[in-house]
This record gives sequence, C-alpha cells and structure tokens, in this order.
Amino acid sequence: MDFLQLGSYTFSSRLILGTGKFSNTTVMLEAVKASGAQLVTVALRRFNREQLADDLFSPLKALPEVTLMPNTSGASTAAEAVRAAHIARELSGSPFIKVEIHPNPQHLMPDPIETYEACRILAKEGFFVMPYIAADPVLAKRLEEIGCTSVMPLGSAIGSGQGLATAEMINIIIRESNIPVIVDAGLRSPSEATLAMEMGCGAVLVNSAVAVSEHPPEMAEAFAEAVAAGRKAFKAGLMPKSSSAIATSPLTAFLGVNT
Amino acid sequence: MITIELNGKQQTLPPGSAVTDLLSIIGSDGNTVAIVVNDLIIRPDKRSTHLLQDADRVEILVFAGGG
Repeated sequence: MDFLQLGSYTFSSRLILGTGKFSNTTVMLEAVKASGAQLVTVALRRFNREQLADDLFSPLKALPEVTLMPNTSGASTAAEAVRAAHIARELSGSPFIKVEIHPNPQHLMPDPIETYEACRILAKEGFFVMPYIAADPVLAKRLEEIGCTSVMPLGSAIGSGQGLATAEMINIIIRESNIPVIVDAGLRSPSEATLAMEMGCGAVLVNSAVAVSEHPPEMAEAFAEAVAAGRKAFKAGLMPKSSSAIATSPLTAFLGVNT
Repeated sequence: MITIELNGKQQTLPPGSAVTDLLSIIGSDGNTVAIVVNDLIIRPDKRSTHLLQDADRVEILVFAGGG
C-alpha cells in the first residue's frame, strides 16, 4: 500500500479537506465522507449560544476515520498562533496544527517571518507542524530543517480558484524536500489536484472548491478520484517530453512503399 | 455580583462561581469547548474548582468550519 506518512500517522487518503464555507454541517459531513479524507481542518472560534450548530467538534469526532487538524487562522503574529495551537490541542487532542498566519485580510498571504517563528516553537513542543506558506523553496527548506512535518505551499490565493499558479516554485520545493509537500489553497478543479499529485506532491488540501460547488459531496468524490489518479501516475512514472514527434506505429514496409 | 469579560462582552456572576457554573449559565455541557481564563487554559478536571474573580477575562472557544 501507498501511505502518506505525517509524523507518526499514516493515511491511505492523500486528500485533506477543509470544513469552511459549507452551506451547513450536514452537507459538510457528507462531503467529508465522500472525499474519504482522513485529515480535516477546523478553525477555533468563540462560543456563541445562538450558533450552536456551528460547533463541529462532536459531528467530526463521530467519524472514526477522521483526524482533526486545527488551524491558527485569525492569528497575525507567531505568539497568537502558538496560543491558538495550545488551545486547539487541548480541545482536539490531535498533534496536528496547521500554522496559518496572514496579517492582511485582503490577500491572505502568509507572513513568512511570523510563520517560521511559530513553527520553530511548536515543533520543539512536539506538534506535527503543517505550515501554510507562499511557494518559497528557501523558506520551505528552512521549515523542514526546524522539524516541520510537512510544508504546505499555496497554489494561488486562498479561495481564489486560480489553480496552480505557483507550479514551477512548487516543483523546486518538491525536488528539494525530504518531507511531504502539500498544495494548500487556490485549487478549483479536480484536474489541478491531479496535476499537483503528478508533480510529486504528497497530498492536496482543498476547501472552497468543494464547499462552494453546486454539489459538494460529488465534488469531494471527484477530488478524491483525481488525487488517487495523480498519485498513481506519479508512482508509475510519466513519460519524458520530446520536442519532436516519436512515432507509435511502424512507418516502414507499408503497402509496398519502399523506404 | 462580580463582572467578568466573556468572549469580549461583560457578564455578571454570583461571587464564588466556578468555571462549571459559568458553563451552566451559557448552556454548554463543556464537552466541546476550550476555556481560557486570563490566558490560562483551564482543563476539564479543574473547571469545578477554578473560581472566577471580578474582572477575569474568559474565552470560551469551539471548533468551527475552516480551511
């Protein structure tokens, strides 16, 4: 079997699903089940007695295959992210933390300096640290060196649906990395997930593409199949590219034509 | 009565209220929330003995949808 190894956990699914932006909890749960995702992200929010249905802890915990990966969304500094990680671990019991520090709500680009500092602290504390980063090969390597479990470069801006705009940088990160590279953010279509996996990504993280589609469970299933196909193709080894045609049929001894 | 800050809003409580009393008031069984008092995480086994003081800052947090 071909498992994704993250820290001491092994997963047969290489699709990580986000739980934001779904129309309701029932649809989200159907999508999680259809996706086969074994790692799903959640966010910390203040308790609101008027919005008890927003509490996803119990419904997700009822899915035995699912491990929670809380994020630190809302943090704009390393200190805030570390604090959020501590609270999230207390609640989830999960060692995974998606470090997500984006100070500017307009573009939601991750702050590399604060992210690095938060990851350094959390990795020392034993978290399985999964940082959301720009597709920066140097930063990715530095994060690997301080003990991150994975790096998660963005394909394009969060929720933008602009796909793998950073493909060339992600290729470099994959070549240089000894830890799984997970494309996080920007994917719109299953074919983009396939491409990411064919490139050699360890997994992809998808949220908006599923959550805001017309039929989230079906789209979740489509992404699952696309990720599996891309992984299988990567393992099988893609043929080399050529700048000229290379015939697949014999071109000689055809109907008496002598060459 | 004492006044605490609960998730950014003022909340009055009888003196001597524990964290579990606050949970009862807001209608939470406490199983799916994290509680932070003045930046200190209050674990479930400490909630019935941790008494809230006037001007305490209390955050009660849950997991919501997020990517």
